[in-house]
Amino acid sequence: MSAEAVIDVANFSMSFGKTRVIEDLSFGVQPGETFGLLGSNGCGKTTTIRALLDIYTPTSGTLLINGKRFSPRAGATLGYLPEERGLYRKEPVIEVMTYFGQLKQMSRAEAKKAAGEFLEKVGLSEHASTGLHKLSGGQQQKVQLGVTVLNRPKLLILDEPTKGFDPVNRRLLMDIIEEQRREGATIVIITHQMEEVERLCDRILLLKDGRARAYGTIADVQDEFEGARLQVAFSGSLPAEPVSFTARINETNYAELEIRDGASGEQVLRELLDAGVEIRKFESSRISLEEVFLRVYGTDTEVAA
Amino acid sequence: MKSHNLTTVLRFEVFRTLRRPIFWILTLGVPVLAGAVLALIVFSSASGGEAIDDLANQSQAFTYTDDSGIVSPGVAAGLGGKPEADPAAAPGLVQRGRAEAYLHFPADPATQPIEIYAQDKGFIGNTAYSGVATNVLETSAAKGIDAKTAAILNGVATVSTTTYAEGVESGGLGAFLPPLVFILLLFLVITMLGNQMLNITVEEKENRVTEMILTSVNPTTLILGKVVAVCVVGVVQVVVFSIPAIIGGGFALSLAPPGFELELVWSRMILGLLIFVGGFLLFTGLLVCLGSIMPNAKDAGGAFAAVVISLLLPLYAITLILANPDGVVAQVLTFFPLTSPLTALLRNAAGALGAVSASIVIVELFLLSAVLLWLGARLFRAGSLSYDRKLGLLAIRTSMRSRGNEGP
Repeated sequence: MSAEAVIDVANFSMSFGKTRVIEDLSFGVQPGETFGLLGSNGCGKTTTIRALLDIYTPTSGTLLINGKRFSPRAGATLGYLPEERGLYRKEPVIEVMTYFGQLKQMSRAEAKKAAGEFLEKVGLSEHASTGLHKLSGGQQQKVQLGVTVLNRPKLLILDEPTKGFDPVNRRLLMDIIEEQRREGATIVIITHQMEEVERLCDRILLLKDGRARAYGTIADVQDEFEGARLQVAFSGSLPAEPVSFTARINETNYAELEIRDGASGEQVLRELLDAGVEIRKFESSRISLEEVFLRVYGTDTEVAA
Repeated sequence: MKSHNLTTVLRFEVFRTLRRPIFWILTLGVPVLAGAVLALIVFSSASGGEAIDDLANQSQAFTYTDDSGIVSPGVAAGLGGKPEADPAAAPGLVQRGRAEAYLHFPADPATQPIEIYAQDKGFIGNTAYSGVATNVLETSAAKGIDAKTAAILNGVATVSTTTYAEGVESGGLGAFLPPLVFILLLFLVITMLGNQMLNITVEEKENRVTEMILTSVNPTTLILGKVVAVCVVGVVQVVVFSIPAIIGGGFALSLAPPGFELELVWSRMILGLLIFVGGFLLFTGLLVCLGSIMPNAKDAGGAFAAVVISLLLPLYAITLILANPDGVVAQVLTFFPLTSPLTALLRNAAGALGAVSASIVIVELFLLSAVLLWLGARLFRAGSLSYDRKLGLLAIRTSMRSRGNEGP
């Protein structure tokens, strides 16, 4: 793992009683990247994050943030939105936000100012002195997001961030993630939502039964599960026994080709031209992350969030 | 490291309690209500007593017969009495409303009752007849003896007692009362702050705040901050309560017999303070553990009640403890952790807690409190993440070995 990795997990294993939930897991997250931690319910995603944040004690292995084991003192630069989330429901909104800001080492004045600005931004400034329990569910979600990013974290960990969010707050969350990315924050997203991952993440780790099943850039993972594909529109006939590809779909004037291991798109093109095929369209494509996910988990696993 | 964010937690917890109107309604309401009840009792008692005395001293129209030979006709006449000529018919006359009252003094009033037949004048009014009867008898009897003897028989004699323990003069009631303040304080802490203490660990769990907060605060610091905050709130309440308490105490002292003085025995006060603090910490530790194990305050209610009852149990055995402080019951209650604080405080106030026993109790309380608070912090980390579930035995065992791993 790179020496400057923001998150460095090495040989991490975790057991609860006699149940092994994580097995020899290693991965790293680089500064400024958006990293997706994927897997179905119970695969060990949240456990990994809790161990990383020193809420659980790992059975073995090391989990480091910026080269050190996490401690609450380092929480000043962290923004964490847990899957199980909530706030002090009976306290005024501004007091709750200020308190969490202070816990992140902001002065009371700074925290209150930042909280006020956030509430203004999301249209809740008139509710600043209202008890949190008097706000609607959607408004409470906004406050929760505000608390998460109030300290402008350098590392943002979002566990199932869109869980229970309405479309408005989902949009707000995406805006916040974009804003944090622009500011150079490192972001870890734990989710089942593959569309979000494909849109937001630079790299991913796919877990199943506590083990890493795929790790790398999205393209790497897609290629790992299935060679690159080509979509070809043509005239003539494809070679009967092609060397550099196999045809997944072969219809009149259209084919979807899978490049064989060790071959390249250029070789496929050469083989087609050598066989006298007239090419009208030649595009590369990959399988979706959702397909990767389904291949790993099959159809017998709860996938949806 | 341990104190990271301690003042932030403390400040938040104290101010959010003090901001709540319900806190001030209860804090100010309790002494006001207690004062009102006390005033009502004092007023009612004084008025009732005066009314009875007035009735007893008032001249009542009655007839009487005297088999004892004690009653002075002059005394009886002074209180409205006339000798009854027909004792057999007298009760019937009263029953038919033709006579006000008839009193029959038996041959031996010390062993036989004075019989009274009278018109019903209500609950208080009826007591006037017995007042008049005893007044007639006592005043007639006193006429035959000198004033000093009469005063002694009326219980006016005062007593001055000096006792010694191991060759040193020991205090009496005046030395017994001041250390009792720690019993009062412990009782107030248990009854008024108990629920707040239980909420120390339940609240984060109920509100799902735990994970967010544990990334900024060590659980031990969080619990410490919350415990100290409850103490600060308790001090505010004690200050508010102390005003009527001082007034009430002053009033009570004014009713004390002549020559009575409070005496501060410093060794008892210091021991009392240490036992109180130890008892408070034990109570806190128990509730922190309880709150960490249970999913919410409602589920913790039953166990909370059991803890409170156990702590207050010695109050039901006060006489037994004071009468025989070295007896088996007193010894068991002294050293059993849950009953130890109140029993030891009671024995200490009475000067019946030896140095060795006191040392054992204090060490036991502080040691056990430290273990419970340590365990509470660990259980909090694990229990708070189990949210809707009660923490299982496996998790409790695991928590004692490592932090947090209750499992998802």
